Amino acid sequence: MGSAEQISQLTIDGLMVGALYAVIALGYTLVYGVLQLINFAHSEVFMLGAFGGLFASRALVPAGATPSGLTSAGLVLFGLVAGALAGAAAAYALERCAYRPLRRRGAPRLAYLISAIGASLFAFNLAGKEFGRQSIPVPDLFTNGTVVTVLGAEISTQSLVIACTALAMLLAVDHLVAGTRLGQSVRAVAQDAECAGLMGVDVQKVIVVTFVLGGLLAGAGGFLYAMTFNASYTMGFVPGIKAFTAAVLGGIGNVRGAVLGGLLLGLVESFGGYLFDASYKNVIAFTVLVLVLLVRPSGLLGTRLGRPA
Amino acid sequence: MTGSPRTPRPRTRRAGVLRPVAGVVAGLAMVGAALTACGGGDSNEAGTKEFLIGFQGPLSGENQQLGINAYNGVLTAVDLANRTGGLPFTLRIVASDDQGVPEQGPTAAQKLIDNPDVVAVVGPVFSAPTKASEPLYSQTGLLSVSPSATAPALTDLGFTSFYRVIAPDTVQGAGAAEYLAKVVKAKRVYSLDDRSEYGTGLSGAVERGLKQAGVAYTHDGINPTKDYTSQATKIMADGADAVYYSGYYSDFALLTKALRSKGYDGAILSGDGSNDDQYIRQAGAANAEGTLITCPCSDANTDPAATGFVSEYKKVNSGLKPGTYSGEAYDATNAIISVLRKLGTGASRESVLADFGSVDFPGVTKRIRFERNGDVQGSTVYVYQVKDGQRVVLGPVSSLVKP
Amino acid sequence: MKLRRPAPRRSPAVRSHSVRARKAQSRRAQLRELRSRMARPGAARPGGVPWPVVARSPAARRLGACLFLAVIAAVVTGPSGDADRPLAGIEGSFTPARAAGFAAGGLALWALSIGADRLTTRLRSAGHGAALGGGRLAALGGGAWVTPAGAAWASFRRGRWAAFRRGRWSAPAGNLALLAVAVAVPPLLSTAAQQALVSEIGIYALLALGLNVVVGYAGLLDLGYIAFFAIGAYTTAYVTSADAMPWHAPWQVNPFFALPVALVVAAVAGVVLGGPTLRLRGDYLAIVTLGFGEIVQLLANNADGVTGGPRGVFGLPPLSVDLPGVHYSWGLRPLPYYYLLVVLIVLVMVVFGRWERSRTGRAWTAIRQDEVAAEATGVATMRMKLLAFAVGASVSGFAGVVLATKQFFNPQTFGLQSSLLVLTIVIFGGMGSRLGVVLGALVLQGTAFLLRDTVPPADRYIYFGAVVILMMIFRPQGLLPPRGPRAPASPGPAAAPERPAVPTERAGAPGPAGPAASTEAAR
Repeated sequence: MGSAEQISQLTIDGLMVGALYAVIALGYTLVYGVLQLINFAHSEVFMLGAFGGLFASRALVPAGATPSGLTSAGLVLFGLVAGALAGAAAAYALERCAYRPLRRRGAPRLAYLISAIGASLFAFNLAGKEFGRQSIPVPDLFTNGTVVTVLGAEISTQSLVIACTALAMLLAVDHLVAGTRLGQSVRAVAQDAECAGLMGVDVQKVIVVTFVLGGLLAGAGGFLYAMTFNASYTMGFVPGIKAFTAAVLGGIGNVRGAVLGGLLLGLVESFGGYLFDASYKNVIAFTVLVLVLLVRPSGLLGTRLGRPA
Repeated sequence: MTGSPRTPRPRTRRAGVLRPVAGVVAGLAMVGAALTACGGGDSNEAGTKEFLIGFQGPLSGENQQLGINAYNGVLTAVDLANRTGGLPFTLRIVASDDQGVPEQGPTAAQKLIDNPDVVAVVGPVFSAPTKASEPLYSQTGLLSVSPSATAPALTDLGFTSFYRVIAPDTVQGAGAAEYLAKVVKAKRVYSLDDRSEYGTGLSGAVERGLKQAGVAYTHDGINPTKDYTSQATKIMADGADAVYYSGYYSDFALLTKALRSKGYDGAILSGDGSNDDQYIRQAGAANAEGTLITCPCSDANTDPAATGFVSEYKKVNSGLKPGTYSGEAYDATNAIISVLRKLGTGASRESVLADFGSVDFPGVTKRIRFERNGDVQGSTVYVYQVKDGQRVVLGPVSSLVKP
Repeated sequence: MKLRRPAPRRSPAVRSHSVRARKAQSRRAQLRELRSRMARPGAARPGGVPWPVVARSPAARRLGACLFLAVIAAVVTGPSGDADRPLAGIEGSFTPARAAGFAAGGLALWALSIGADRLTTRLRSAGHGAALGGGRLAALGGGAWVTPAGAAWASFRRGRWAAFRRGRWSAPAGNLALLAVAVAVPPLLSTAAQQALVSEIGIYALLALGLNVVVGYAGLLDLGYIAFFAIGAYTTAYVTSADAMPWHAPWQVNPFFALPVALVVAAVAGVVLGGPTLRLRGDYLAIVTLGFGEIVQLLANNADGVTGGPRGVFGLPPLSVDLPGVHYSWGLRPLPYYYLLVVLIVLVMVVFGRWERSRTGRAWTAIRQDEVAAEATGVATMRMKLLAFAVGASVSGFAGVVLATKQFFNPQTFGLQSSLLVLTIVIFGGMGSRLGVVLGALVLQGTAFLLRDTVPPADRYIYFGAVVILMMIFRPQGLLPPRGPRAPASPGPAAAPERPAVPTERAGAPGPAGPAASTEAAR
């Protein structure tokens, strides 16, 4: 077992899924960094983004069509934008309805967690009601096929598109947080909300921006995910937990940590499922998490968004 | 309970809104009153006698689609009987949701048992809630006919009022293994299940059959996930020339997709949990092309004898096509209705249960006759194949294996 | 956004406690400033065009909220769509008649809420001679308690209530009355309701009491609590039956003996999990416990040869008493299990009540409020946290025995959703309050039970989710929060936060979620 070909294939598989985890994990990490809040409803933002992209691409692609070339690229881009917008809208609505009223009333922190759980139940069941309970495939946006072979591993167009898009988004977010004025204010709020407020940062606005940013990413990620794995109303839960795990693995609140955690988790799952019975995949993933946290109690990269761990 | 305070406690207005003790008592009283109110029966007899048929299955939660399929089948049967059956009584359905999980089973069953007008139950849909609910049905003597609980052991657990219109996994597993060995002529089979009770039961039965037939196999289990990419890589590396997936269609669709995208060219098979047109839609017609599905059932959508059922189903359920377990639920309901028709307006739980064992009528999925233990007689396993984006019946395994 | 330089990325990792305390002191003024700014976002952007005053007025805002609620209600109660017609459900929800009806409903709700506010304000101020205008204004702002009228009302209620509570027999009498209700009402209910009282309410109340020790007392966020429930249930199967599971004890005992065994095994499991992981803080602990829960569930599901895997555990003997002359079996009826649960719950509540007021309980409170400070003042934090884990776990061992002897179970029963449900019950009921969490189980699970018959089953959890959100919005501290800080009885914004935010290493500096919490949630 385990020829070089398979190893590289598993690596590619793992990195591809890991990239998706990383995109979702960024949403958790950003919100956590700013609010110290596990946004349990983030998985539903992801799901709603997937539906947004799905409906947009279905509106454009007639049944049975096999677009190719530039058309495909355009369609993918369109789906991504639609998904991102849907995700952003969902995240904004979430912040507005399930978090802001609590903040205004000064709720204890666990109340946010419960409110998020309630919002998650509400959102995914409502999506099931409105969009049906079957999973729905995204139309084929390009003719499937292997384009690149790396060390014997075949990479499909699909994987390539997903990997490139995810990478672009990750780089964009990293730049946004580390190198722009907006990112500065996000980091300032993350480090000390009150002081940032006194310095003239509009804390409320930063919180909204953070949610919307996480929503954009999760929505686009949802569309990418649905391209391979179909969209359904329950699709958010498992990737949501995985992405949360990835965020913690890398050091929650840390943007690069989320990326690292996501990729690592993808690899662990890919190889773990291969080497052992596949039903132990999650056992292995969580065991690795526990071991990593025992050695590095604040995750791999440790630091939080603009704050020491 | 709450400790007696030693000092007067400061209270903000907010905390004082609900005075603890009064609030608790009021809350208890409200919930209690509401619970009592729900317990009453609902016999609104307007001239004709009304019988209730219970339905227990997952109508919420993750598995609700299968429950909804079955429920719509029951609905079709009842609607048809009320409209055209010429019955001396009217029928109504009362549904009880168990979410497909065992801990909700007793409450869901009890709701139906508490209602004295319920004379028989279609369900439970899943095996685990069946084990949790059936002791209560047996104790009460309320007939329950499962459209879909396939765990082999169910009919050996001493339940006295349990019947099912679907063959247990052992029947299908043996048929599937025979087909794999003799028609697919697989050298090595990759048997993958979804780690559910249904999946492990079926994969175990398939593997026993393969062992008997002398076919090598690899067993693997994977909890339903969306991502079958690395699983496909693992299957490719295993070198098996056939994959048999024991699980439900939405996962089978993703597995098929993943296998196809890796260029897998062996046979891809699954069982009755995947026998649904949704499979083709979710996998994509191109990916699903050529995949095989075994099922101990004739297909309602394609069987000419069942066209009436399909058109009725569509009419009753606003254009939906029958899905997995719809046909079985329809048959189970019709079996109950046939007994009620015989007993007339004097039917009771006892008489329905007593007479149900001798039911014999042609259903849309199979001929419905029961063994003494409650299993449905006959063990014809059909093989379906996806051709040009449609599920097509190839025929029963017994005739396919003959040269 | 006026920051010129990026904020320093690193500051000293550990601040001493005194520094933190001083910082908290000086921060109060800042907090007030921040809160007032957050309440008036318009004021925070001097350069921008301020919104019209009318649109920003609380009444208009409330009107918006009410109409929004009406829209949501229309969609939720409307017809369903499906993937091919994703908008069909929403279109169907807004037929002219429905739209008009729900708009009217929204307006009525608005009028009602405004009217009720004015009425209460008027009553209060009339009764206490406080300024009417101030009261009305405060009511409109939703912050009546900071105004003289509100304060007067609050102090009146406080005084009257305290007088009642001071009565020597009032508390025991109240508790006995509750117990009498709990004993006398269930036989009047339908059997289905009794089933729900056992397997959905009673067992979850017991679980919530256990988790309350971990989350409510010690302030540790545990997302894998259901694992101990699983361990209790499987332990019961192991010791009471020879054929329910492939793996069983060499000899079988009466199910009652499973109670102490499960208690010990679950407690040991708590220590085993807690030992290595309790060093982690805050949300890192949450994810590790979540992972632990998943691992236990997956192991139970995968180890066919030990637990029976997905086939589950069927046919355990019901609880029974077999003494010479006394034979009684709990059988299949729910009521006997209910009374057993009542006994267990009361027992656990009494024991925890003693514990809460003991040295241990105070140590847990200290850890919850500030772990560093607790450690500095000599609390053996690690040992106390382990104890909380073990105690919490042991209670769910009890719950596992009741579940296992009553009904069939399989690994599905012990999923993450169940863990989240228990946590929801704890917060919903009132974290840290024993009666609160039991009430939380009753109300929340009772709601789920009632929704069974009142809404289409597929939509049940839409309503359930909405109830949870609304509850957290309008009563974030839970149905019945524990009574105020035990030692100093100083109310008001100056009081130390009783429970600012569960486990955070920055107890002195909660995020935007925190500052308001520390002022408003102070009891």
